[in-house]
Amino acid sequence: MSQTKKDLLVDPLVDNNPITLQVLGICSALAVTSSLKVAAVMALAVIAVTGFSSMSISVLRNHIPTSIRIIVQMTIIASLVILVDQILKAFAYEISKTLSVFVGLIITNCIVMGRAEAFAMKNPPVASFLDGVGNGLGYGLLLLVVGVVRELFGAGSLFGITIFETINNGGWYVPNGLLLLPPSAFFIIGLLIWCVRTWKPTQVEEREHRIQTIEEH
Amino acid sequence: MGIRKFFDNIEPLFTSGGRYQKYYPIYEMVETIFYTGKTVTKVAPHARSYTDMKRIMTYVVISTIPCILWAFYNTGLQINSNLMQLGESSQVGWRISILDFLGVSLNPQSIFANMAHGSLYFIPIYLTTLVAGGICEVVFATVRGHEVNEGFLVSSMLFALTMPASAPLWQVALGIAFGVVVGKEVFGGTGKNFLNPALTGRAFLYFAYPANMSGDSIWTPVDGFSGATALGMAAAEGIQSLAAIGLSWGDAFWGYMQGSLGETSTFACFLGLAFLLVTKIANIRLIIGCLVGMIAFSYLLNWIGSDTNPMFAMPWYWHLVLGSYAFGLCFMVTEPVSASHTNLGRYIYGGLIGVMVVMIRVLNPAFPEGMMLAILFANIFAPLIDHFVVQANIKRRLSRNV
Amino acid sequence: MSDSRDQSATNGILARFLSLPVDSIPRTVFMAVSLCLFCSMIVALAAVNLKPMQSYNKLLDKKINILQVAGLYTDGVDVEKVFSSFEPKIVEISTGKFTDQYDPSSFDDRSAASDPELSVALDEDPALIGRKPKFATVYLLKGSGGELDKIILPIYGYGLWSTLYGFIALEKNGNDIFGLQFYEHAETPGLGAEVDNPSWRQQWRGKSLRDENGNLMISVAKTSNNKKFHIDSLAGATLTSRGVDNLVKFWMGEAGFGRFLENLKVGEA
Repeated sequence: MSQTKKDLLVDPLVDNNPITLQVLGICSALAVTSSLKVAAVMALAVIAVTGFSSMSISVLRNHIPTSIRIIVQMTIIASLVILVDQILKAFAYEISKTLSVFVGLIITNCIVMGRAEAFAMKNPPVASFLDGVGNGLGYGLLLLVVGVVRELFGAGSLFGITIFETINNGGWYVPNGLLLLPPSAFFIIGLLIWCVRTWKPTQVEEREHRIQTIEEH
Repeated sequence: MGIRKFFDNIEPLFTSGGRYQKYYPIYEMVETIFYTGKTVTKVAPHARSYTDMKRIMTYVVISTIPCILWAFYNTGLQINSNLMQLGESSQVGWRISILDFLGVSLNPQSIFANMAHGSLYFIPIYLTTLVAGGICEVVFATVRGHEVNEGFLVSSMLFALTMPASAPLWQVALGIAFGVVVGKEVFGGTGKNFLNPALTGRAFLYFAYPANMSGDSIWTPVDGFSGATALGMAAAEGIQSLAAIGLSWGDAFWGYMQGSLGETSTFACFLGLAFLLVTKIANIRLIIGCLVGMIAFSYLLNWIGSDTNPMFAMPWYWHLVLGSYAFGLCFMVTEPVSASHTNLGRYIYGGLIGVMVVMIRVLNPAFPEGMMLAILFANIFAPLIDHFVVQANIKRRLSRNV
Repeated sequence: MSDSRDQSATNGILARFLSLPVDSIPRTVFMAVSLCLFCSMIVALAAVNLKPMQSYNKLLDKKINILQVAGLYTDGVDVEKVFSSFEPKIVEISTGKFTDQYDPSSFDDRSAASDPELSVALDEDPALIGRKPKFATVYLLKGSGGELDKIILPIYGYGLWSTLYGFIALEKNGNDIFGLQFYEHAETPGLGAEVDNPSWRQQWRGKSLRDENGNLMISVAKTSNNKKFHIDSLAGATLTSRGVDNLVKFWMGEAGFGRFLENLKVGEA
């Protein structure tokens, strides 16, 4: 293993972020980021699921037959997701109501499956756990950044605490309604990817096509 | 030739190796305001044409002049006639102070008074658009090292014409900035944008600040006055309701109704379109496609009918004159960059817009105005349409040579 | 002797099983079965053990909504204690009288509304709800002396994108509105979703449903001359406002709780 344990955790935050570099898990990033609180809980849920699913799959990796490999991974992930969902319903009902189906949809979050298949099947449990948590953190970090932008400019508040008093409540801030709609997360994620790639040019992909220019004779 | 000399003197500072090399795009922009650009095609094959980008864009701006004049007149007319109805007490605000100072009356009968009052709404919006959009444009041109393109003048003019008269200026600035950056510059600038930048900005504002961009109280900025657009009324109560407020088809065609600044007069839009067609900037196939799609689909909906939704019964000639259909048809559908580029594709692209605009207007409960969304939708499909047309051509030619 | 032979036999089977390749059919089947069993056990355990807590949360949430619409909810209030001053009752909508046919603590309004046994299809359906339940749970807020103070009625109907579920609180005369609140909807954020805005909800307080002649006058509209029965539309949300207008009129009218309120007034409910 060339990667140290710290790398496993830190690498997916910016250098190998599952959303900005691999563009995975966009679906839920659109849906749950209109308020920061919900985004934070979603991030925690995904961190828990990626961490523990990667670990359990890694423990079993030498006993998982290739023919039913994907189903086994799915079963483990699905069970963990249901557990998380049940726990949220029992202990954080308000938030689980807002998250509604999106907790269940963690099952389909490509990040979880992706890490299970790409990393946990080949690496020991502790490393897999850290890798899972790291990727969950990378996902969560982006969720929080998007959530800050959307809630602050869309509703004038952060974590439900008013920062900009909105016009409707007698203040000065005219909230930007677009940011409360899911598609706005596309713009924000797109702009974030732009920022990250300007900061770290190595992440820029090779161009597929190049516009031809005629040489001067 | 003092100006030429001045440019020749300072040019070395900006060309490669010069002190201000980085700012060449700005130099180029200012220079070409005064003189024709010096870059010419240097190698074969030589395409000879009287048009260049600058000329095309200038023509488009010229073609919007009827709409601009109508925007001046109609905005003023709507405001002045409502002010008159509401009485003296409602006549406040800086615009009215200026008019007072200049000795211009608020008489809705006077063409000059209406034009003056309307221009006091249009000009601030247009200037804001130019400044805010211009800053974005120049910043990108400088950083990316491409030319500041005249296309921006077109985008900003069209954007300003789609604003309601009461639009807050900071929203105007934000909208055009979004349009220029996200609609155009992130894809590489003029000619590489697949969305219409003016519409992108307009759509951004529509979804971000719907209270300021749609509804009843924004079209005529008079305190205490509220009234939906003709299209909004038709959507709520059917076209019969328009007759009740005394709006005939003719009025709607000439543009005597509320709406965004430049979109009310179908006649003014058609004047502009005629100019664009004569100068061969607009492609007639796009227009035909869009008209046929709209007419066919509204006939279909007329035929299906609905008890609960009065919009089903709206005939095509009303669709033509209400809302921004005519404006979109003349200036947005014909925009060459974001439309399809194959001839067959142009019919399909136009037809798609025509169908979509009626579909959104009639079937969507929330958005009575569909032109903006329909065009943006078709923009996204334009490359795909072209792709299939090209593939079909290739296949046909191959099969000929078996 | 026989013991040790048995053990070696089991060892043999286990050893033989383990020596099979991972991809062999017995091991695949074993893995699949045992994983399924294990996972289903964990999931079932969690579901069963957490169930009481979840139902409690669900109930608590509903109670909080009722307290909110009655203006009794503040952060950190003891929901159970405050809620005990409410008396839930089932009302038969067609007769407008209380009924003891069902137990209010277990009656599920939401499922009753779609149960063919407990609901009727609507011909005239301004609130766009499709079916109308025959029975509904209402909550009577009793004062300290046991006298009626406020009436909380469930209302729902279609807005622009979604069905809005909520409660309306009436004063004891059954005509003056104390408050209105929706606890579930998916209207456009910033426009239709402003039904949750406290300053808009504040408008409802003190408005009346009917005039002296018993005509239902309450309306949500842009403009109106009669302030006593009028609530301003939400800015920029024509269709949500119209939905709220329709559903309030529907539930407060003859087809809804009209008869019940009438009965309540003369004390015959």
